[in-house]
Amino acid sequence: MTSKKPLWDHDAHSLHDLFCEGAASAEEIVTSHLERIRSADSSVGAFLYVDEAGALEEARRQDRWSAVERRERPLAGVPVALKDNIVAQGMPTTAGSKILGEFRSPYDATVVVKLKQAGAMIVGKTNLDEFAMGSSTEHSALAETRNPWDVSRVPGGSSGGSAAAVAAQMVPLALGSDTGGSIRQPASYCGIVGMKPTYGRVSRYGLIAFASSLDQIGPMTRSIRDARLLYEVIKGADAHDSTALALGEERTVSQGPWRIGVPREYFGEGMEAGVRQVTEAALERLRSMGHELVEISLPHTPYAIAAYYLIAPAEASSNLSRYDGVRYGMRAEGRDLVTMYEKTRDEGFGAEVKRRILLGTHALSAGYYDAYYLTAQKVRTLIRQDFDYAFREVDFIVTPTTPDVAFRRGERDDDPIKMYLGDVYTVTANLAGIPGLSIPAGLADGLPVGLQWLAPRLGDLSLFDAAATLETQLEPMVWPMGVDE
Amino acid sequence: MELSDREILHVARLARLRLTADELEPLRQDLNRVLDYVSQLQSLDLAGVEPTLHAAADQAPLRKDIETASLSVAEATKNGPKVEQHMFLVPRIMEGGSDDE
Amino acid sequence: MNQYQVIVGLEVHVELKTATKLFCSCSAAFGGEPNTHTCPVCLGMPGVLPVINQEAIRLATRSALALNCTVRAVSKFDRKQYFYPDLPKAYQISQYDQPLGEYGWVTIRGADGAAKKIGVRRVHVEEDAGKLNHLGQRLGDATGSLVDLNRAGVPLIEIVSDPDLRSAEEARLYLTELRAVLSYLDISDLRMEEGSMRCDANVSLRPADFQGNLEDLPRVEIKNVNSIRNVQRGIEYEVARQRELLAAGERIVKETRGFDDATGKTYSQRSKEEANDYRYFPEPDLPPLVLDPQWIADMKRGLPALPDAIRANLIDRGMPEKDAEVLVLDREAYEYWQQATALFQDERLVTNWMLSDLSRLINARGESFANSRVRPEGLVALLGLIQSGTLSGRMAKEVLEAMFETGQSASQVVKDRGLSQITDASAIQSIVDQVLKDNPAVVQDYLSGKEKALAFLVGQVMKQTRGQAKPDLVNQLLKDSIQKDYAPSQD
Ligand SMILES: [Mg+2]
Ligand SMILES: [Zn+2]
Repeated sequence: MTSKKPLWDHDAHSLHDLFCEGAASAEEIVTSHLERIRSADSSVGAFLYVDEAGALEEARRQDRWSAVERRERPLAGVPVALKDNIVAQGMPTTAGSKILGEFRSPYDATVVVKLKQAGAMIVGKTNLDEFAMGSSTEHSALAETRNPWDVSRVPGGSSGGSAAAVAAQMVPLALGSDTGGSIRQPASYCGIVGMKPTYGRVSRYGLIAFASSLDQIGPMTRSIRDARLLYEVIKGADAHDSTALALGEERTVSQGPWRIGVPREYFGEGMEAGVRQVTEAALERLRSMGHELVEISLPHTPYAIAAYYLIAPAEASSNLSRYDGVRYGMRAEGRDLVTMYEKTRDEGFGAEVKRRILLGTHALSAGYYDAYYLTAQKVRTLIRQDFDYAFREVDFIVTPTTPDVAFRRGERDDDPIKMYLGDVYTVTANLAGIPGLSIPAGLADGLPVGLQWLAPRLGDLSLFDAAATLETQLEPMVWPMGVDE
Repeated sequence: MELSDREILHVARLARLRLTADELEPLRQDLNRVLDYVSQLQSLDLAGVEPTLHAAADQAPLRKDIETASLSVAEATKNGPKVEQHMFLVPRIMEGGSDDE
Repeated sequence: MNQYQVIVGLEVHVELKTATKLFCSCSAAFGGEPNTHTCPVCLGMPGVLPVINQEAIRLATRSALALNCTVRAVSKFDRKQYFYPDLPKAYQISQYDQPLGEYGWVTIRGADGAAKKIGVRRVHVEEDAGKLNHLGQRLGDATGSLVDLNRAGVPLIEIVSDPDLRSAEEARLYLTELRAVLSYLDISDLRMEEGSMRCDANVSLRPADFQGNLEDLPRVEIKNVNSIRNVQRGIEYEVARQRELLAAGERIVKETRGFDDATGKTYSQRSKEEANDYRYFPEPDLPPLVLDPQWIADMKRGLPALPDAIRANLIDRGMPEKDAEVLVLDREAYEYWQQATALFQDERLVTNWMLSDLSRLINARGESFANSRVRPEGLVALLGLIQSGTLSGRMAKEVLEAMFETGQSASQVVKDRGLSQITDASAIQSIVDQVLKDNPAVVQDYLSGKEKALAFLVGQVMKQTRGQAKPDLVNQLLKDSIQKDYAPSQD
């Protein structure tokens, strides 16, 4: 009987139904999740901020809603967490950095407006690599987040807090942001579903910019149906975001069988054996379901990391210039303006952020723009074209999400290139602007392995549909800190 | 193209980051490794390839020129580290920049 | 000694007259209590994004077209990056390599009347910065500064001339003409004192034997001068300063200089070694600005008559060039003139009265043709009274002054003051007869050929009528009466 398991053990669909039927009150749902946070988060460290009072107040408000009012709002009764680079009015937002100090946003991100309209109850903000720069959440200046599957390991990043919170069942839904894989990689490491929408599908208004031309907000959940539900709530045009696409036609795809592209560049060296095994088993399953696996080539893949590590830092160096100690956030006093600027930024930013600011500033500086930024944007065009050609042949592309499983904390501190190379399978979707979905495909040595699905631009919904057919074929996911039998 | 300490300090100056001597050495190594890594892009023939300068929409939407409420001055300045007379106070501005500490 | 040619290029920033800012919906109105016209976007809060104001684009396009620019169907925005407390994001969203308008020109006319085309290299759209209030007498000894971001994000166009200007006087002519052109478009308040029009001047001296690119000459930029007159003064000073340096065998250093209104001198603001590296790159938050070519063409067709065409038209109609120039440079005066001449046939009379007496009154009061109490209908009514002979020119001046002071109509003033001119011969005849009778000697002088004697007699009649008699009429009556009553008979 589902009603016997704790409320925090339900997915969003189930919680919403329980709330609509009156089987659980919003207050019970919130209370259950807050308790779960209290018990689980001491070892996981997913949250930077939990708004107990705000969530309970919202829950009591929702409990006064009629059945119709509940049904009208697809997320009524459902707790949700925000990666702490998404602003919500009145709540602190840190971006995992010291430099934002005591900042409290005077406005809501567009996704937050949409969540609230849909009845979601925002319980708090989750940890991340500082300004979303990192793949392990170890680069947060504020807290350590551990992988619920093995607390000696990282949850991945930069949306590691959201991934860990969902995997440890502290919330059924969380938002992350993905600039080079920052939703999909931690989803893979934590064994959950994470999706980066088509660039422009979800408004970036209120998302603290890392690399503007690559950033997208997306859902992180324990089931594909929940990911789709959350995606449907947050997507859409926005009068505050000039890069948000008007709600046009969604690309659809037939019921199948499909032609599924398997890019040879993604199966080369550098992939851990366990990841290869799980991936190949999933591909075999797809074949047995009647789909056709087609080996394809995305020839410019080897250049993706290099292009990404010019474009993203360049944009970041610009986006992070506003943290100057004048209007908000931290300020280190100095006897004159420039000293104040330099001390504030010196004390406020962590090492990885400084490294990327310097790299990006250099890439844009006089005499280097053409060789670095412009060249990288041309390579980006080639990577987009690779996908354009590939999707003339195939309906979807399936790859591993990451070459590895969650690594140990502290393991990759010293080597930026090695850390950057972990993004090798995910950055291409950001560069091409296409949607990507990571679903848990199985375990290797007890750690989750993600399978990445890619679709053409605006193929977001078809991605959920396609991956869902596989989800039903796979072993049901067991949650790492689940209910004891 | 190796970055020298002088170039790194110039870039740091542009970015308003102050680097101490002990930060400089590891940074120079890291930056040069990254620059060495990205130099592989130079091997590609990019003649005739258009840069992807805009990721999605090909045309900026235009907004109607209709005023909406601004923040209250209290809201606008509530996050200010130093506020006087409803304005953000900054230390004295020395043209040409500060002297070293 | 080397001969030098003066090379001047001007960058003019003009604030556009929109209701809201360029990238957010805050009020763009001038003034307001500090930081009351601000929102997350123009405060540069984390997470905000720009959305372009279509009215700013319309006004900018109009301006570019009026300056004879080619307007791009596709232009783009870029980030210009530098740290300063008045620039919230630490970058200004501007247009770098694909500006809205390019390749235009402004025609100036020197004292000799010869026309010269000054190239307008580009017209681009960008956002304004906020305002710093320095705590102290001046920046140099301020203890700190207070930042007000009401202006931050107000739409600007920047109009960059080619380095085609060869003197401070040409710079003055260019700015005057540019300002006139823009004034007809109704795109800005164009108030230099309030900063809605600002000018930076790039000044260099070209040695006679210099063959290279003008851009390579060591150039001094005079920043933010607050009147056309001061731009001229600043350039004059700068040219003299550079000449002296060169004569002394020194080099000119590339730098930014300010202009001190009180002394008329420029002073160094920013040293050369703080070379700017703005790290421009395409604004990733804004897709390209795409304009419909048909819309651009319609916009061009819809431009109002501009100074060049107006000037030519006025001169064609027989207006003296000098008058045409005065009229065309003051849009309000020209519009006043148009309204008046639409109601009144005698254009010359309108022009004369406007540019002499009315102008004098308006200038003395620091008013303008647009807000003067004497409206075109009122002036025309007055001119009608002159034309009909009801008022003499001298009386009309008095009436105009009264109209200007009180706001009354011409007829009201005439009535109140009993000023109307006596045009009825029978009303004056008795006075004429009396004056002749009282001044027999003068009459004899006249008859003996002393023309001046008549003027005396006219004066006497005018005096007795308190100036209200129509002078021509008095003249005629005196002549007729002398002829009739005093002249020796012919037969
Ligand atoms: Mg400018
Ligand atoms: Zn605003």
